[in-house]
Amino acid sequence: MLLDIRSLSKTYPNGTQALKSVSFTVERGEFVAVIGLSGSGKSTLLRCINRLIEPTSGTILFEGHDVTHIKGEALRRYRQRIGMIFQQFNLIGQASVLKNVLMGALGSVSTIDSILGRFPQSLHEMAMRNLQIVGIADKASVRADSLSGGQQQRVAIARALMQEPQLLLADEPVASLDPATSHSVMRYLGYINRQLGTTIICNLHFLSLVREYATRAIALRNGEIVFDGSPSEITEEWFRHIYGEDAVEVEIR
Amino acid sequence: MKQRIAGFLFDWLVGAYLAVMLHRIVWHELLLGIEGPTSSGASSAAFIAGIPDWLVYGAVGLALASAASISKVSLALLVQGKLERRMWQRTAALHVASLVLSLTFITGWVVTKISLVDMFSGERLRAAGRIFSSLLQPEFAILPQALSAIVETVYLAFMATVLALPASFVLAFLSARNLMRGNVWTRATYTILRALTNFTRSIEPLVWAVIFTVWVKVGPFPGMLALMVHTISSLAKQYSEQIEDIDPGPMEAIASTGARPLQIVWFGVVPQVFIPFLSFTIYRWDINVRMATVIGLVGGGGIGTMLNQYQMLAQWREEGLIVLVIALVVWAMDYISARIREALA
Repeated sequence: MLLDIRSLSKTYPNGTQALKSVSFTVERGEFVAVIGLSGSGKSTLLRCINRLIEPTSGTILFEGHDVTHIKGEALRRYRQRIGMIFQQFNLIGQASVLKNVLMGALGSVSTIDSILGRFPQSLHEMAMRNLQIVGIADKASVRADSLSGGQQQRVAIARALMQEPQLLLADEPVASLDPATSHSVMRYLGYINRQLGTTIICNLHFLSLVREYATRAIALRNGEIVFDGSPSEITEEWFRHIYGEDAVEVEIR
Repeated sequence: MKQRIAGFLFDWLVGAYLAVMLHRIVWHELLLGIEGPTSSGASSAAFIAGIPDWLVYGAVGLALASAASISKVSLALLVQGKLERRMWQRTAALHVASLVLSLTFITGWVVTKISLVDMFSGERLRAAGRIFSSLLQPEFAILPQALSAIVETVYLAFMATVLALPASFVLAFLSARNLMRGNVWTRATYTILRALTNFTRSIEPLVWAVIFTVWVKVGPFPGMLALMVHTISSLAKQYSEQIEDIDPGPMEAIASTGARPLQIVWFGVVPQVFIPFLSFTIYRWDINVRMATVIGLVGGGGIGTMLNQYQMLAQWREEGLIVLVIALVVWAMDYISARIREALA
């Protein structure tokens, strides 16, 4: 078991209960899609896992270790093992693609060396390999903000791969992309999941993408898990339960 | 409740202010024709015997504030937006507001001793004419000295800017709210540094120059120090506002890789603010050249000091040349810095 979440809750200072006693486990090699309406707690859940957001209560076990309250160096070592990509890509637009990818390895380079730009040759080679995996090695020296959205998300994936992560968190990775580009990015995530064996937890909006790429789906509604099972089990009835009575499924091809 | 107390205090202040203006300006100066400074001593006797003026003003203010809170014809309620359009109190309060404004204008006129007679009497006009015609015939004999003085001023401004840079840079990150939310200590650091830079910035460079000319010998050095202190706090504020404006996404992404705090700032924040920082810095140099001229007047060196010397000697043609040189250099700096900033944007 890679990840064990037990009764995780998060209440924001303004009183919003984003997560209400959420529990689930994730095995190595799974591709878990987290679905649900906007505001159902998907982003909060992902950010609680790598502790970008502090959970209010509950426990997070990663490879059997309790990481709910670790701090400082221990927290940084923990985060190094978990990659993350974002809806808005969150690259440093002013820096080159290669430099952006190298930033994924900041945890393993000393502060001084990284500020002086002294990344070891081995990391440079690794960065180029990761850029090859996502198919944009030829863009290594251009400014990150000159790339298209899909290309930027692939750079973000390469940056996350620099951590050689056991787990990859993807927060709406294709929500800002057009359908064709969405599939391309999802295919790279699928490749990483199957070929590199990286476990993936991915927030998604489109059920068609969930059915195509995920091995398992977890549905959140108002901060609670209302479905946990195979994507193929999500019937129309379940769909209305997750998204509300008025919802109509839209497909992305 | 808090708002009502603040509103009452506001009305009280305005009431007392009205009382002061009506008594000191309208009654004494305009109706009795007593000149400003002498009136303060005589006024107690003229008003209510044995009671100090400020107490009377306070009491009148309190009475007016009470009346305002009972009748709801209150400026505080007007400012707080609690008087609706169709209430008669709103109309009345607006009248009170315009009364306060007009009295303030009259008071301002009296206090600044505006006198059209002084400005346009024949003798005065002739004196001004002499100076203006001399200013318009600049004495080019002192051009070399003026040029070397203005070069001194430009360098002074440059050094003040460059030497202020490292301190402003560090202070900016420590006084940016979004970076200092971490824990009690960082929040305390933020609050203290914000207060400190706000305080030093509120002191004009001219005042710093007076302080530093006493501290170190008169000349360009104290002028540079004065500008440097002001530049540190001004740039720190502009920089930190820029930092507070950044997209937090990249910072979050860097943090998620397990980077250390300094790496998060260096890679997630600095690239986003670098160009704006450069632009602010060049603009600040430009401002400093103008300020350095003024600082020279109080002994801060450079062209300002030269301007002051010739003014003491009443040599208006030399003064004319210095003004010309200043205008040209300030215009050129302004133009160049605007072009550079344009290119950066």
